[in-house]
Amino acid sequence: MATDKELSDFLKSIEKRAFKRTAFAVRDDDAALDIVQDSMIRLAEKYIDRPAAELPLLFQRILSNATMDWFRRQKVRSAVVHNFSEFGGAADDGDFDILEVLDNLEGTVGTESASDSVSRDQILRIIEIEVGALPARQREAFLLRYWEELDVAETASVMGCSEGSVKTHCSRAVHALAKALKAKGLAP
Amino acid sequence: MTKNTTSTFSLPDRDGLEARFGVRVASMLGERAQSTAPDIGERLRFAREQALSRAQAARRQVQLATAPVLVSRGRSAALGSPLGWWFKLGSAAPLALLVLGLAGIAHVHDKAQIAAVAEVDAALLSDDLPPDAYTDPGFAEYLKTTRE
Repeated sequence: MATDKELSDFLKSIEKRAFKRTAFAVRDDDAALDIVQDSMIRLAEKYIDRPAAELPLLFQRILSNATMDWFRRQKVRSAVVHNFSEFGGAADDGDFDILEVLDNLEGTVGTESASDSVSRDQILRIIEIEVGALPARQREAFLLRYWEELDVAETASVMGCSEGSVKTHCSRAVHALAKALKAKGLAP
Repeated sequence: MTKNTTSTFSLPDRDGLEARFGVRVASMLGERAQSTAPDIGERLRFAREQALSRAQAARRQVQLATAPVLVSRGRSAALGSPLGWWFKLGSAAPLALLVLGLAGIAHVHDKAQIAAVAEVDAALLSDDLPPDAYTDPGFAEYLKTTRE
């Protein structure tokens, strides 16, 4: 059973990412805060008897379900389903884009002047906008895999889909991001 | 020109490259997420505290739900099975005493009733027969059958 301290530390460690992930999905900060709060309370009330190690995966599941419930309540499920539609054909020609953008992104790390710092802030903002612009399922898979650091099986379990679908969503998300970032000038 | 180089990536290379890219972008995203507005940070802190207080309430409920079971089992739950048998025997003894007591009372009561009836019968039999008895057809019949 997780102790109060373990639960508190866990919630503290994920609250900002959880908020950001939800805000990407619902595009409304207040709604995202409500969803995160509901999810935290649901975790605390229903799963307090579970060991601390199980909390991350449980919370991601609860948060995903709470987000879907919000969409249902908003009666915009058809819009969500529309957003879930796939990006077609991006995976075939994007490897070089990824490498270019990755080199460029990694080049931004290190000692920075004031102008570098401003430009870095702009880069971070562009990345945030582009992640927010991804189709919902691709974004969810991308954030769960690379931001929440879940493995493919855990991501599939949270998203309620197959591991193959997770890989496809992630790959498409990466290529779409690389393309979008390159278009924004984040490549040489 | 760039498109021509695409085919040089094998599948594992491509997976590794995608993973590297994903981790890099996610870490930059995380950097930005840490600098949320103060009001959002405050709301998140409030949400966390609410969740913690609910967790404490849930724990108390669980403790309350399990407490009566332990109390009802008393010493037998706490000290193991040998004392448990003695405890059960001790609980059954008053019931057995009650049953025995009731049986005793019933027996004494029956004996007292029998003695009272016998006393009435003896008094009737030893008393003089009243002359009216000979006019009673039932008594005449009785005398006839006893003679036979």
